[in-house]
Amino acid sequence: MRRSFLALVAVLSLALLSATTAVAGNGGFAPVDPASPNASRINDAYWLIFGFTAAIFVLVEGALIWFVIRYRRRGRPRDAEGLQIHGSTRLEIMWTVVPVVILAAIAAFVFYKLPGIKDVPEARAGESLTVKVHAQQFYWQFQYPDGQISIDRMVVPVGAVVRLEVTSGDVAHSWWIPRLGGKIDAIPGRTNTTWFKGEREGVYSGQCAEFCGLQHAAMRADVAVVSRAAYEEFLATHGPGSREVAKETFSGTCAKCHGLAGQGYIGPKIAGSATLAQPTALAALLRNGGVQMPAVGKDWSDQQLRATMAYLRSRFGGG
Amino acid sequence: MAVRTEVEPYRADWKRGRVASWITTVDHKRIGILYIATSLVFFGLGGILALLMRAQLATPEEHFVTKDSYDQLFTMHGTTMIFLVIVPILAGFGNFLVPLMIGARDMAFPRLNAFSYWMFLLGGIVLYSSWVSNGGAPKAGWTSYTPLSTDAYTPSNGQDLWILSLHILTISSLAGAVNFIATIVNMRAPGMSWLRMPLFVWAILTYAAMLVLVLPALSAGLTLLLLDRQVGTHFFIPDKGGSTLLWQHVFWFFGHPEVYIMILPAMGMISEIIPVFARKPIFGYKAVAFSTAGIAFVSMLVWAHHMFAVGLPWGLQVFFMLSSMAVAVPTGVKIFNWLATTWRGNLIFDTPMLFALGFVGVFTMGGLSGIFLAAFPVDWQLTDTYYVVAHFHYVLFGGSMFGIFAGLHYWWPKMFGRMLDERLGKWTFWLLLIGFNVTFFPQHMLGLLGMPRRIYTYSHGGLWEWYNLASTIGSGIMGIAILVFIANVIRTSRVGTRAGNDPWLADTLEWFAPSPPPPENFDRPLPYVTSARPLRDLRLRLKEREVGAGA
Repeated sequence: MRRSFLALVAVLSLALLSATTAVAGNGGFAPVDPASPNASRINDAYWLIFGFTAAIFVLVEGALIWFVIRYRRRGRPRDAEGLQIHGSTRLEIMWTVVPVVILAAIAAFVFYKLPGIKDVPEARAGESLTVKVHAQQFYWQFQYPDGQISIDRMVVPVGAVVRLEVTSGDVAHSWWIPRLGGKIDAIPGRTNTTWFKGEREGVYSGQCAEFCGLQHAAMRADVAVVSRAAYEEFLATHGPGSREVAKETFSGTCAKCHGLAGQGYIGPKIAGSATLAQPTALAALLRNGGVQMPAVGKDWSDQQLRATMAYLRSRFGGG
Repeated sequence: MAVRTEVEPYRADWKRGRVASWITTVDHKRIGILYIATSLVFFGLGGILALLMRAQLATPEEHFVTKDSYDQLFTMHGTTMIFLVIVPILAGFGNFLVPLMIGARDMAFPRLNAFSYWMFLLGGIVLYSSWVSNGGAPKAGWTSYTPLSTDAYTPSNGQDLWILSLHILTISSLAGAVNFIATIVNMRAPGMSWLRMPLFVWAILTYAAMLVLVLPALSAGLTLLLLDRQVGTHFFIPDKGGSTLLWQHVFWFFGHPEVYIMILPAMGMISEIIPVFARKPIFGYKAVAFSTAGIAFVSMLVWAHHMFAVGLPWGLQVFFMLSSMAVAVPTGVKIFNWLATTWRGNLIFDTPMLFALGFVGVFTMGGLSGIFLAAFPVDWQLTDTYYVVAHFHYVLFGGSMFGIFAGLHYWWPKMFGRMLDERLGKWTFWLLLIGFNVTFFPQHMLGLLGMPRRIYTYSHGGLWEWYNLASTIGSGIMGIAILVFIANVIRTSRVGTRAGNDPWLADTLEWFAPSPPPPENFDRPLPYVTSARPLRDLRLRLKEREVGAGA
């Protein structure tokens, strides 16, 4: 019987090992491949907990299966009694104290990693920047130190420490790019901060993680980590009144409900709409929202509002 | 061997057209059965909502249901399963079993008991009436986070009906809880001291105490939300000086203990069932009973682990991490004690035992995944993703519902006088076990791969497609399992074997009564209770007498 238990433990360990190897290509057995130091430190904590919990899992399930096989009834009569023992104080103490020790070890390791996860690292001027992340139904607006703006796609230079100030203009949202670290909620009336440092160039995707209404699933975000030169170029084209920002505002804000060609979807058709010809009505609609339409432009600057209106008129006519 | 008494099964009442006798009943057993039957109907409805969601998520960019309906589906699914299935079905088991287990004739307040049930049914009807209300069913999630759930963002009446329904259900649960406490404290059989009480009764006592402690917080929060929506107050509206986090604190101060309210009585059932089918006493009775109280106490101090991503002060995050981890200790004690109870037993694998052992296996997984969530930096990656969905389904389906299925198969003969079919019961168990794991195991991976909760669709490409498809297939298998269970109930209602008093050779007093028990429960004077296993004591005494008479 002991042999069959050992065989069982071997099989389970093998299964666990194969699961672990699957992680090399990450099949979802650990958080996705980190690309920022805070994300890697979270992964370290994840793996430590994984090690302890996997061992306990194998122990409990192994014992369960072992006892089920070993102590099954076989030919014994239904009313044959098992061993009438009522407990063991020594065992109770053991399986209270051992978990406490394991949990203490996990907590200690988390505290050891914590400063590297939560504290924004020191960086020389020029190698750090603060981006304001403003969430609204159903888009992300990013504002860079010199006032430039982008929507749904943040562009940052490689190697820079990026501090994020996360706010919301309406309901609760949650900022999350899995490869660049954990979530931080965007909550109306609060400013939350987090940070990341893009170590390699690339585009990292994520989406809003707090249910925020009808188009929650469409509230996606990308962070493009690019070379310093590409970043400068990006800043040059993304002034708050620029056509580039207006275009992004349309595709990030309007198009999710009115269609990329303004053809109408959840909201009515934009192309040829009479409102386009009435600047005051259009501005009011963008600022305050409509029947079902969220007040998407309530926190825009006048520059951004004017540029967006001009873009809408030039693209969809209406005077 | 105890005397077997045949009593006409309950169904006969229906056949004789005595529907009114059920509507006017104040008998705790009938109220218990009404609770269980109503909860099972809602379980069917909630399950259908879940299957619709899984159909929508089976493939990327799917248009099986609309976005708006999807939001209604997950809101109604969550609210149904928590408030209309698990909590009331446990109240149903408590109602049926507590007086029988402690040797009482009924609950302390039989009319209050009937009132609790009818309030529960009313709450359910109010919630489901929202489907035909202006704007459809509620769609802000079962957590109804503010300000999304305020009138500015969710003007539809479904949200108001959600509030009304929960208010009604809160009253129902409070009345029931007070009744349980009064019954258990005052009406135990002669000799049944606290430490001779069945562990299920311990669990129901804890369940009731927790309901009394946390439901008022929910009621208060609901009232404030209703005022914000209907009267124009600003408790949760930040532009006007309110706080959105206030709702989250109030909601989770209720909501996290609620999880233990839903799991502790199921654990109590497991603690009744495993010893009977292992032919052993529970290992560490005191440890199991006190760990129940321990879990209840600690669970009141962990609520903000649902809020690790809202930007709490560091000190609070650390506190809630440590308190959440502390829950793992008494939970582990229970699991180890159940395992030790099977050690050197004479294990009989009838359906109730299969579900009980399934509970131990599956719940362990749910408990361990919770440790990741308690470590707050790790939680920042996992919270609000499918990992959390997987975790709480391992706890609430793999835990509570497996416990409830164990209890249904175990006490069915006591309730209705007939045994359920073993072959169909085993099919139910294996289909449910396989379907459950196929559905929910891949959701851990989905969460780690970045899939948030509550999205109605996702894009093509990558592993999301495969894991979602697997999950949908698993949900179909679970659906089949439930159909097998229904077939079992229908079939055995006519041809099931008559159970007699004590078909399982069990330990506790409910098996001393006939099956089903007549009004006022016991047809013979109760034996004086000298241990936590009065029926086994009785069997041993009878055997001694037989031997004595034979000699």
